Amino acid sequence: MAEIVMPRLSDSMEEGTILKWLVTEGDEVKRGQPIAEIETDKANMTYESDTDGTVSELVAKEGDTLPVGDVIARIGDGDSRSSLAAGREQDEREEKDEEQDESEPEPDQRPAASGQQNGGERVKASPVARRMAGEMGVELARLEGSGPGGRIVKADVEAAAKDGGARPRERGPEAEPAAAPQRGEAGAKGEVEFHELTRLQQTVTRRMAESKATAPDFLLNAEVDMSAAVELRARLKEVADPAPSFNDMVVKAAAVALHEHPRVNAAYRDGRFELYSRVNVGIAVAGQDALVVATIFDADTKSLGQIARDARELIEKVREGRVTPPEVSGGTFTVSNLGMFGIDSFSAVINPPQAAILTVGALKKRAVPDERGRIVARDMLNLTLVCDHRILYGADGAQFLDRVRELLESPLSLAL
Amino acid sequence: MATMRYREALNEALREEMQADESVFVMGEDIGVFQGAFKVTKGLLDEFGEKRVRDTPISENTIVGMGVGAAMAGLRPVVELMTVNFSLLAMDQIVNHAAAVRYMFGGQVSCPMVIRMPGGAGHQLGPTHSHSFEAWFLHVPGLLVAIPSTPADAKGLLKAAIQDDNPVVFIEHETLYGQKGEVPENGGAARFGEAAIRREGDDVTVVGISRMAITAQRAADVLASEHEIEAEVIDPRTLRPLDLDTIVESVKKTNRAVIVEEGWPHGGVGANLAALIQEQAFDWLDAPVMRVTGADVPMPYSKPLEQAAFPHEEHVVQAALSTFRNV
Repeated sequence: MAEIVMPRLSDSMEEGTILKWLVTEGDEVKRGQPIAEIETDKANMTYESDTDGTVSELVAKEGDTLPVGDVIARIGDGDSRSSLAAGREQDEREEKDEEQDESEPEPDQRPAASGQQNGGERVKASPVARRMAGEMGVELARLEGSGPGGRIVKADVEAAAKDGGARPRERGPEAEPAAAPQRGEAGAKGEVEFHELTRLQQTVTRRMAESKATAPDFLLNAEVDMSAAVELRARLKEVADPAPSFNDMVVKAAAVALHEHPRVNAAYRDGRFELYSRVNVGIAVAGQDALVVATIFDADTKSLGQIARDARELIEKVREGRVTPPEVSGGTFTVSNLGMFGIDSFSAVINPPQAAILTVGALKKRAVPDERGRIVARDMLNLTLVCDHRILYGADGAQFLDRVRELLESPLSLAL
Repeated sequence: MATMRYREALNEALREEMQADESVFVMGEDIGVFQGAFKVTKGLLDEFGEKRVRDTPISENTIVGMGVGAAMAGLRPVVELMTVNFSLLAMDQIVNHAAAVRYMFGGQVSCPMVIRMPGGAGHQLGPTHSHSFEAWFLHVPGLLVAIPSTPADAKGLLKAAIQDDNPVVFIEHETLYGQKGEVPENGGAARFGEAAIRREGDDVTVVGISRMAITAQRAADVLASEHEIEAEVIDPRTLRPLDLDTIVESVKKTNRAVIVEEGWPHGGVGANLAALIQEQAFDWLDAPVMRVTGADVPMPYSKPLEQAAFPHEEHVVQAALSTFRNV
């Protein structure tokens, strides 16, 4: 009997949520077979069995959140399959005979060994029906028992399985969405389409609400003169493929500044500050009908060209849905850019539990006074730093943001 | 095959074993000149003489005690007690001695004896003659317990009991002595611990103890003809050793079990067997293990009351049906 524990799927993962079991009790699994979808602090990922055997118990229910290392399932040697096969050949005659006399309730209400709960009410089922329901994935609570006193017996489970009644166990709140939108009437609003959330959308929903509800956030705005950066990029274009984008430069500048300002490369968590040694900058990417934050690890030590290549590859993977959990976890800071949509500046919701998120607006020529007070057209960029005041205070945030501006306005150091 | 009565099959087993082994002798009340209360020892006195066919006084504890001593000394006594009820007078010798001597002496001596006794109700012999005490002897480690229900088993199991080096309590049923059945000619000893499946079926397992194996078969016929339920009827034939494998295998197939015995319900053979079944086949059960037992009273003398105090086919049918639905 092997115990499957909540795996550590990302370096910062402390607990995980079982989104969906891909197996039911009694299923035989092979090493490497996906058995569960688990939501970590960063992503949803499929977890594969590291052993062969029969799933004897799903300890964690869908929707349960458990610390890393807690038992979520047990996998045994699995020697009960042959009896199941024999049991399927049960004579159907039983069904005919099992008429139910409702006027005479069965006095036998003894609890059996394993419980199936349905709103707290115990489902009355025979031991063999319970065992087979577990093996066949039939939900006992949905069946009408034909045995004495309404007891669910083997024939009922077999009939349900034959009718396609076999289904995964009770679904958690994060169940697979319905494929097609449903329609309904909403009076003055006309016809309504209802779309169930994908699991990714559910995750976004929960984490964004959690962030807004818990982080006392404030904004810092800065205008950056990107003229030197524009010039640099024009020159880099001639030698680099891909040429670093302005966003890549922001990422690099932020990474360098993060290295110098540890309280920004940090998180407030469980009543204390967590300061991280690695600078892993996440870039928010729209994709999969939701929001995915892909991570550029050790961005402070990577060259601008490397960052550009990493970012390009990650964005492509997100859009194609190929991004893997490690690539969307482990971030210590996030950069979000809506400049491509012409947005001048904007606020964002902090990606919890990070201390801050940096938003990047559109690069635009603006009329600004030069050193001598003359109005000139310069390539300007708006940066907004959204800070969690529990860890990042105004002065600290301001110094960090000022350092980012300084780096972008003198971009040669970024190209090193 | 030869057709003979249950008592004749027992008689033949005794005769054959006495012919085959000079150390085998029989002893009991009225077994010689009177040829036994149920005529099981008919003709043995004439054939084997007073030395090997010994009439004894009415003194059950002494009869069994002499048997224990003879067995320890190397003979193979077959002791007859007139009824199961009288065996209670000999419980000290049966439990404290016959069952225990081999254990007490570390295997230096054994006690190869057979204690035959008829039991069961049906002849209006009242509460001092008609009980079924299989459970009392099943309870005792060191004793083997045989409960044949057919002439063939009566012969085969008695031969096996005589040949066995352990003390065997051999319980015959009073109402079966006149029953006829096929018995293999020149048949050897049967094997202890081997149940017989009297009737195959997929729907419910019915285990019948002693005569109740026959009642169970009649009930199975009713279940099939009137209720479309195919019962599998198992006759364990010996309670120690018990062929639990055959019973559990059947229950795993049918998911239902009914145990039928003539003895009392509390601490009975069925209670014990029900515990074993739920321990070993819990996850295969579709219904509680049902017991059909004798009434929880001393056996009445009155004929209608006596008939009402032990199980009949209809009780077995009802118990089997109750594993499918409310009845």
